[in-house]
Order: sequence, then C-alpha cells, then structure tokens
Amino acid sequence: MEDIEESEYVAADHDLLVSAVSKLDKTQHITEPTRNESTNIGSEFNLLKRTNRLNLNSVAKILGDTAHHVQISKKLKKTQDKSKVLSKPLEKPQAERIKRSTGYEATKKKVGRWDPVVARSRTVDYVSFPLKSASSKLEPTGDFLTKLTLKSDLEKQLDEVDPPPFIEEEVEEEPVFPMTYEEMVEHRKHIAKMRAQQSYKAAKAKRQSKIKSKKYHRVLKKEKLKQQLKEFEELQKTDPEEALKKLESLEKARALERHTLRHKNTGKWAKNKLIRAKYDKEVRQQLAEQLAVSRGLTKKVQDNESSDDEADDGAIPDMTLSQDPMNPWMMQRPDKSNVNTEFDFGYKKFVQNKIGKKDDSDTDSNDENVDDEPSNGISVLKDSINRLTRIDDSSDDTTEAVEQETITVRDSVKPSQSLTSKPQRKTVVTQKSLKRAKSSEGKSKKIKPIATTNWEVVEVEPVKVSTLNVSEDITEVFEKHEDSIAQKVENKLKQIRRNIEMLEKAARSNKRDTKKIEDRKEKSNLEYLELKKKNVKPIIDEELIETSSKTVQDDDKDDQSLSKILNTAQAPSEPSAGSSTSNIDPNRFIQAKPKFLNTALSQGDNQYDQLDDDDEQVVPKVNIEEVFEEDDVVASFRQEKEDEINKDKPEEINLALPGWGSWGGKGIKPQRRKRNRFINKPAPVMPRRDENKGDIIIKEHKNPKLGVHKVKDVPFPFESVKDYEASIRAPLGNTFIPEKAHKKLIRPSVITKAGKIIEPMDEDELLLPKNKRFRNEAIIKLLGQKK
Amino acid sequence: MNQPKEKEHNKRYFEKDQKNTEDSSKGKNEKVQVFNIKITPNLIKANKFKNKDTVNTIRPKRNKKFEGKAPIDPEKLEVHSRGEGVGKGVRHPLHAEKLRKRERKYNYAQEQAARAEILLTEGQGGVEVEEGGKTTAISQKIIAENVDITAASKIFELNLAFGPYQAKYSRNGRHLLLGSKKGHLAAFDWFTKKLHLEINVMESIHDISWLHTETMVAAAQKEWLYMYDNTGTEIHCIKKMDKILRMEFLPYHFLLAAVNEFGFMTWLDISVGEIVGHYNNRLGRTAVMAQNPYNATLCIGNSKGVVSLWSPTVKDPLAKILCHKTPLTALAVDNRGMYMATSGVDRSMKIWDIRHLDGPIQDYRLRSAPVDLEFSQKDMLAVGLNEVVEIYNNCCTKTTEKPYLRHRMAKTINNFKFCPYEDVLGIGTSSGFTSIIVPGSGEPNFDALESNPFQNKKQRKEAEVKALLDKIPAELITLNPLDITEVDVPSMQEQMEAKKKLLYLKPKKMDFTPRHKKKGKTNIARKKIIKEVARKDFIEQTKEAKKLLNLSEEQKAKKPSFGVLDRFVPTVKTKKQ
Repeated sequence: MEDIEESEYVAADHDLLVSAVSKLDKTQHITEPTRNESTNIGSEFNLLKRTNRLNLNSVAKILGDTAHHVQISKKLKKTQDKSKVLSKPLEKPQAERIKRSTGYEATKKKVGRWDPVVARSRTVDYVSFPLKSASSKLEPTGDFLTKLTLKSDLEKQLDEVDPPPFIEEEVEEEPVFPMTYEEMVEHRKHIAKMRAQQSYKAAKAKRQSKIKSKKYHRVLKKEKLKQQLKEFEELQKTDPEEALKKLESLEKARALERHTLRHKNTGKWAKNKLIRAKYDKEVRQQLAEQLAVSRGLTKKVQDNESSDDEADDGAIPDMTLSQDPMNPWMMQRPDKSNVNTEFDFGYKKFVQNKIGKKDDSDTDSNDENVDDEPSNGISVLKDSINRLTRIDDSSDDTTEAVEQETITVRDSVKPSQSLTSKPQRKTVVTQKSLKRAKSSEGKSKKIKPIATTNWEVVEVEPVKVSTLNVSEDITEVFEKHEDSIAQKVENKLKQIRRNIEMLEKAARSNKRDTKKIEDRKEKSNLEYLELKKKNVKPIIDEELIETSSKTVQDDDKDDQSLSKILNTAQAPSEPSAGSSTSNIDPNRFIQAKPKFLNTALSQGDNQYDQLDDDDEQVVPKVNIEEVFEEDDVVASFRQEKEDEINKDKPEEINLALPGWGSWGGKGIKPQRRKRNRFINKPAPVMPRRDENKGDIIIKEHKNPKLGVHKVKDVPFPFESVKDYEASIRAPLGNTFIPEKAHKKLIRPSVITKAGKIIEPMDEDELLLPKNKRFRNEAIIKLLGQKK
Repeated sequence: MNQPKEKEHNKRYFEKDQKNTEDSSKGKNEKVQVFNIKITPNLIKANKFKNKDTVNTIRPKRNKKFEGKAPIDPEKLEVHSRGEGVGKGVRHPLHAEKLRKRERKYNYAQEQAARAEILLTEGQGGVEVEEGGKTTAISQKIIAENVDITAASKIFELNLAFGPYQAKYSRNGRHLLLGSKKGHLAAFDWFTKKLHLEINVMESIHDISWLHTETMVAAAQKEWLYMYDNTGTEIHCIKKMDKILRMEFLPYHFLLAAVNEFGFMTWLDISVGEIVGHYNNRLGRTAVMAQNPYNATLCIGNSKGVVSLWSPTVKDPLAKILCHKTPLTALAVDNRGMYMATSGVDRSMKIWDIRHLDGPIQDYRLRSAPVDLEFSQKDMLAVGLNEVVEIYNNCCTKTTEKPYLRHRMAKTINNFKFCPYEDVLGIGTSSGFTSIIVPGSGEPNFDALESNPFQNKKQRKEAEVKALLDKIPAELITLNPLDITEVDVPSMQEQMEAKKKLLYLKPKKMDFTPRHKKKGKTNIARKKIIKEVARKDFIEQTKEAKKLLNLSEEQKAKKPSFGVLDRFVPTVKTKKQ
C-alpha cells in the first residue's frame, strides 16, 4: 500500500511538474478537469473539446508485457494500424472522366513525339519506301563461296551416310535493356542539357542579384518601364478595356506617389504619369503643375540659401525628436509605424519642416542649445559643404555624424525573443546631439533633396540644383539658346531675301531678250521625254512661285501657259480625222528614216549597174508612192481604227423620260439638272493597246474559246492571282529544261521499291538525326492540330 | 599601421598597370594626339584585315582539290530566268514550304540550263574580208573553193523543165520538197540526194508543204488539196480546201493553214483530219502569207498594204498593220517572232516589231520591188529581186548600209527558203532549183529533241508520238502565246461574286492583281532611245551654244602670254554645270 501511496504521491508530483512544463507551452491553459465526486450535473466549465474515442494505445500499454496479454495487445495495435478509413470512392463517371483525361494526356504526349517525323515526311520532296534500306554490308567471302561450291555425287552420298558435324553457331543472346543504346545516349544528352541550362540560369540569377551598380539597376528599371509602356500600348491597340484596367491599376499602384512632389519628371510617379499624359489632358496639366511647383520650390531654396549664408546661420531650427522624419534611427524602429514617415518627404516634408522651424524658433529659443549655436552652425556649414562636394554619399555622411554622437540603439532594434527574458534596453539619445544632427539634416534637405527614403531616386538629367552657381549656369544656357535661335532666324531671313532678290533678277533678265531662249530650252528639256502621244492632255501642274513682286513678264508667261493648257484641253474635242496626222510628230523618235539601198537590178534595166558598188545613196527621181496617191489607203485605215475605237466604247444611257415632271415636246429642252441626273455615264475604259501606236489596230475582244483552257479559280493555298501565276510559270518538260532538272521536277512524291515489304515505322525513326533536325514549328503545330 | 602596407602588397595587377599606363600616357601626351574613337564591330573587322596585311602570318594554303561548282555568269542566268517566283503570299505553312522547295527546283533548272550552254559548242560561221574589201564581192564560186568538200557539195543547181518551182525544206532541214507550176512534185534528201518521190500530178501546183514528218507532203493543186506519202502515193484529197494559193504548216498545233483564191482561210488539223477554222477573210485574192512561229498566227498581206494577223478561232483579224501604201509583194516573219519584214510595190521594205505590234523599226528603199523575203534562223534577211538574191545581215536592229551577200542568176526567182541548221539558201527558180551557201545563216547547234537533222527511223517515230502528245489545241493561237499561263480574272471575279450571294459561305479573299510580267527589254530600249535622242539633241544644242560663246570669248580677251613662264600663271577653274 505504501508503495502504492508513494507511487501516487510521486505521480502527483510528476503531474505537477508536467503541468508546469506544459504551462510553458502556453497552448493549453485549461487543465483537464478531474472528477472527484460522482454527480449528475456536469459543470459547464468542465466541458472540454475532447474526443470520446478510446485510446487503444494506452489500453495496450496497460495490458503490459505479460506474456498472456502480448498477443491481445498486438492484435489491438494491429487493428488500430489498419483502422484508417478509406475515402469514399469517386462516382463512376467522374472517375472515368479523370481516367480518360489522364489517359488522353499521356497518349497525346506519346503520339506527339511523332509530330516532327510526320511533318518532315509531309514536307520532303519524296518519300521512298521501305524506309529501312537493306544493309549494304557484304557477306564474308567464305560464306559467299560456300554457296557456290558443287558437291559431287559421291560427296553427297558420303554426307548422307556421315553428315558433317553441324557447327552450331552460338547465338549470343543480347541482354534486353529497357532502353536501346541510342535512346540512352539521347536521354543522357537531354538530361545533361537540362542540367546545364538549369545551372546556367541559376548562375545568371545569382550574378544578377549580386550586382550593386546603381546604373545597372537604373538601366534595368528603365528597360522594364519601357517594356511596360510597350505592353500597355499594345494592349491599348488590342483590348482597350483591358488597357483601361491596367491604367487604373497603374494609377492605384502609384496613387500614394501622387501626393508627392518628387524629382520633377524623373520619378516613377512622373513616368507613370507620362504614359497617361499621352491620352489624358488632365494628367498633362498635373504634370505641368508638378513641374511648376518643383521649380518654385527650388527657387525658394536658393533664396533661403543665400539668406542663410548671409545672416541666418545662427538661427538653426530645432525640432522635436518625434517629429523628425529624416532620422534614420527613428525610421528603423520597429515598434513605430512607418506609414507616416514613409510619406514625409518631398513637398510634404518641406511643409512640415517649415512648420517645425517656426515652432522651434518659437518654443526652443530658450533651450540650452542656443548657447552652442555658433560653433554648431560652423560645423553644420562645413557639413553641408562636404555634402555638396560629395552628393552621393551625403546621406551616409549624415548618418555617420549622428553615429559618432549618439548612443547606439542597435540592440533595441533586435526583436525580443519570447523564451529568453532579456531586460529590454531603452534607447537613450541625448537631446542635444540629435538636435544637432537634425538641424544639419534639415539644412542639407533644404539645399538638395537627397534620397533618404525608400523611394528610388532616378537621376536622369544632369541638371542639379546643388551648386551655388547654378543660377548663373542656367542664365548662361538660356542666353546661349536665345542667341542660337536668333541666329537661325536671321539666317532664314537672309535666305528668303536672297531668294526674293534672285527672283527679281530673273524677272529683270526676262525683260531683256533672254527669255525666249530660256523658254525654248525648258521646253526641249521637258518635252524630250514625251512619247509619241496623240491624246494630248492638259498639263495644269505649274510651278508655285512665292513672291509678292510679280512682274508683268511673269504674267505674260502665265498667260501663255494658260492658253497652252486651254489649247491642249480643247484639242481632243475637235473632230480628229485629219488632225490625228498633224499630232504625230514624225521627228519624235523611232520614226525610221527611209534608207536608200543600192540593190542589184535585173539584167534588163542595167542603167544604174555601174553605181552598184558605190556607197552613195541613189535616190530615184520618181517616187512610186506618188503613183498610188489616189487611193487613199491611209485615210481609210485611220477611219477604220476610229470606228474600231468607237465600237468598243460604252455609250451613255439616257434614262430621262421626256415630259416627266416638266413640259415635253418639240423645241423644249430638258433641264440641265435633269439631264445630268438621268444620264448614266459609263465607267472609264482602259486605254487600248494600240492607243499610241500609229497605224496599227489591235482588236480587243475576249476569245471565248481560249477561256475554256484558262484557269478560272485560284486553288487553295494561294490567295492572290499573282502568286498562283508565278507557281505555274515554269515549264517542266525535258524539251524545255535540262534532263536532270526535269527528272527532279517530275519525281513522284512517294517511291516504292518493287517486291519489297513495307514495314511500318518503328520508334527508331524518332531518333534519326534527319527527323530530329526538323524544326519547322509552324508545320509541326499545324499537323499536330489535326489529331 | 600594417594596413597600408598590406594594401600595397595586395594591390591588384590592373591597378599597377593602370598607373604605369597613365605614366606612359602622360609622357606621350605632349606629342601624341588622342582621338576619341568608338569601337564598332565594323572597325574591328577593318582592323583585322589591316592586321593580316601587316603581320607576317603564313596563310594556310587552300588544299581543297574541289572548290565547288564554277560560278555562272549572271547574264547567262538571266537569259534562262522564268521571271519572278512565288512570294510570301501563301500563308499555309506546309504549302508555303512545299512551294519554297519547288522554287528551289526551278532555280536549279535555270542554273542547269545556264550551265548546259557550255555544250553548245558550234559557233556561227561568217565571211571575213580584207580591209576595204566587200563581202558582196564574194561569189559562190569563191566560197566553194574555200570550203571543204562536203560543204562545197551544198552548192548545187538542178535544172528542171517544168516551169517556176517552189521549194521547201523539212523542219529538220534534211529533206527538200519541190513543186512546180506544171505539176512536177519531188521530195528528196538533199544531203545524199536520195529521192523519196517524184511524180507529175498533171495539174498546176500552187503551193507545197511538208507535214509533221518527211513521210507526208501536201500539195495545193489546181482544184483541191492533195496529200502524198513518201513513195508518191496519194493518201488524201481534201475537197473542202479548194483553189489554194498559199499554205503553211503549224508544227506544234498539227495544223495545215491555207488561204484560197476567194479569201477563204482554212485550218486543217492533220492529226484528226478535222477542219478547225474556216472563214473568209474578206481581203480578196492575196498570195502573200507567212506564219508567225512565235504564236502561230497567220500574217496575210493584202493589196491595200495592210498586214493582218489571223487565228483559226476568231473570225476577225487579231491585229492590222498598215505597212505600205501600196500592194504588198512579200512578207516574212523571223524565227523568234520578233521582226516582220514587208515589202510593197513602192519598192520599199520595212521591218516591224511584230511581237509588240509596233514600228516600223527600219524603212528601206530598194531599187526594185522584192519578189520574196525570208528570214534565216540567225536573222539574216534574204531579199529576192527578180534574178538576184541579196542577203542582209543584221538589218533589223540597226540600219544596214549594204547587203552581206549577193547572188545573181540567169533565171527569175520564184521563192526561196533558208535551210534550217545549215548555212544554205535554197532558191526555187523559173527553171529549177539552186542551192547556195550563206555563211552564218543557220543555227549551228540543234536540239535533237526538237528537230534532229540526223534522225533515224526509230527516232522519227518516237518524235512523232511525242509531238502528238504535246499537240497544242488550236484555240490557243492568240497574239500572246503566254495567255494560257494567266488566270481568267474577269470570269473568276464573276464566279466569286456569285458565290458571295450564297448564304452560309465564307467568301474567299483574293488579290486580283495579275503577275507582273517581264515584257522584254523593248520598253527599256525605247526609253534608252528616247534618252539617247534627247542627249544627242542636248549635245548639239550645247555645241551650238558653245560656238556662240566661243565667238564672243575670242572677241573679248586674249590672255597675255609670258612665254615659258606661262605655266606659272594660275588657271581659274570654271564651274561645270
């Protein structure tokens, strides 16, 4: 009993210990209630979420190690092991669907391997079957010869009696591998390639992540931005709604930035705005406003600076610690919400600073620091100068300066651990040092907005309002620009004046006698390009001369040209039976001059024969044409041509009904408006082939019998007549092209060898280099789709 | 304290180098001008080239035995070009790829054809004379003395008694057919002088013609058209074709074209014995006819000086050209269908561009009206003037001054033909047949698949079958023989319009612009001519102007001369305009 009691006692202690330990865990604070007395009423506080299931393990444990119970405990344990409840099987159709889909995927992949093979065999000029050509290996000579040896009868009989020992060739069974050698090589290659690619990519990522160069990142960012812009523009073209959404999202993303006045048009916000600015007037205005504000700000800064330099050195404003947004230490403090500080810069910060300054000057005038101010001021000035010289490191400098004077508070930054109850240190910062630091910061801030926040600063333009002589520079630049513009304007003016002078001179010279010559020259220069053209069209294309001083001569010239135009315009309307001849300029070109040849004469009339070998041209006295002058062949031929032309011309159709809506009858002319309205004018005809060819008539009729032989439809892959005509342009026959080319062109697309069994393709085909090399993705995709 | 030392120790190699280079550059800076050069890939390339020259590198010798195929002359390649190929209009990837492959084959064919030109070994003959000599002075006798025996044997004369003779060579130039006004019909192999047939049809023969092989001939006799085989057996009498004046055989269409006394034109398809076209041309009686080998149209010249072009399926002339103001006497079209020569009673002879229906290109005035005209395969033009035959060389493209050869006979000329693939002109005269040599008139290289002078019986049979298989339908005889390669766009548009009206049918998109064809160089040539003329005019003008200027200048000023020291007087450069 004692033992039991003791053990109970110990157990109680143990429970305590356990509970103490479990308290450390903090997850279960409420202990399981123990029932001391039997009651009917269960306390509501004792209700615990506890499963009613019996823990078989503990039962088995209780059974202990006794030999008798071992079996039972084992059985128990076993039952528990297998007591996992199987999930309910899926509905049959559902399961089948899944099975089908997975099966489809697998089969698709399997069949898809053949795509390049199929695509290649579709595109190649010809396919010859059987695919596997018989091996060209020769038999060993011995084997070949044995077939040829003849055996004598005696030998045959001997062989029957005593058959020669049959040498069994040991056929070495090749071990069956899951993959063929080629497959294996392929597989290994593939894996190696993958690995290489992976490692390459990893290395690249690592390298890129390590790059600290600001320039690099800037470039990267710019690229990204450009990409974004491009995408957006594309999106705008394809899907304007989507683009609008994206625009909105962009807007949202930069909504916070919208309030700030940072970096003119170099910041992200401004850049994002710039995208919008193309399409939104308001945004443009906003940008302009922003720029204006920033300009104003910078100006003020300069003013302040100058004033500071002069007198205000001493009056360094003090700010309370809590309000200081620029203190990096304050910003890094985890317990303080950073939301405010994050946006306390730029314009807002400037305003804040201003307010702070005022406050400081009001409230802290009696502070003890005031005494130290002169020395402080000097140091601050030095600091600021330093900062000016080393713009990039300015923020670091300030932090360093602060570091020297402040007690480090790094420890406080560290997150306190729950298990280790270390005494938390509180930051002790001397008011004085911080103030000093603050003032210096503030000053520097005034001079130049330095990137001390999380925002990325993008320096795009070299224009920095940092140095003291910036204003001078700017004025210089402006002056230069103005100068250059003025010069340009002057140059232009000079040129114009010169032109005017030239024109005037020309006019004067025209007054003299040179005008005619010039005109002639111009004509000759212009008109030599004319073809032997009979339908002269008016040329109204005149040079435009922009001068106020238009001389009389010029007017004359104009008149001439006008009259010329009129003449040409009227010419075609005139009846041109006879005039057509006058229009032909025989001296234009190609009009072959008659060449008199000293041909031989027959024996009968031998009078000229002495001249036979002379080089002179003998022009006969009587022109035989004159004999035939009477029958006017030429005129009749031209008349014929005229008729031919007129025959083909479609006539106007007059749809006007005389007397409809107006008076009709003899002597009444229909209204002009009506006439124009009811006359159907034919479409303009194509120029005839013989239009400018002189005494040649080319009939332009369609040959219906030829049409039977012509192609009336362009077959499938072609979408233009031109392409189709190009595809049938070349002859294939061996009478037209060399035999070799002919054979090549008429080779059938499928060649089969007679008497050979054509086996279906096996998977070795997949590994052939010619199939692997086929990489015309478009065709593969196309043929793959059909399945 | 140690740190700086360590730093020195740890100095990287490039730092030190930098210092050194800086030092050296400082030293140089005083004299050396430094250029700021941006290095571009092009610059590197150029420098590489320079470096090669400067550095003594031993170039590895090309030990390639075979350097690939010989390059082809691009001009030759251009000759065999079939024009622009299929562009990127086909979007279907598979078909686009197939077309690309086909294009490659066409290019191969073109290249191969250019390469095969090396096999055309024979060169064109000719007559060379001493300076100041004249080719017309060289008579047949001199030629016969100077050529080899076989060639000399081609000069011969047949004195036959049956009046004016017509002569025609077979297409391969091996056989000769003679027909006389008084009914004498004879065919023989004129190389070997082996006679095929010789009969007297006992009727007047107006024209004769070989059919597709040398085994059949056609003779237009007084009433009907007869056909004989090579033994002289009459195999056909075609009564539908009567009173024929002139005949032409169109070998690729198997058509025998004829025109009769009343102006009726008939095309007989001799492969099936059908008359393909038969109508009256309403030109009246005319015996001036020639075929255009380029497009198989018939050219008929009439008494009004108009040449009209005819095809069997269209009953109107395809085109008409007013060539002369007087009746035509003779007409000839060259082998390539480029030029047409016409002559009229007015003793003039004109050359026309028959392919583009333009001209006249040349206008010659002769001293008598030609009886007959004939182009040789190499574009020599034979002109028959009563008893004289004059042969002009190169008279189409440029104006000739005098004939190339002249042959005078004691008998009047009836007709003459150049023998294909031989430098021979056969003349049918009033009393027989004369064969003369015209050096350089025939095509020296023959295509055995096209027409083979040394054809044997088997080859002839084979060629006959092939020719029949390649027979071109008569409907395809048009002005432009390449019409067939074009799509009938108007009717296609009609079809598509009709299809558009159907519901539930997606209309096809089609680009109707026809293929831009290369229409020869004449357009360019014309432009060139225009420019040339303009240039000449300009030069003349400038010359005139210069004359004027020179006069004034001379009057104006003479430069003072300093004798030998003149060379030191600075010359003022005048601006050229």
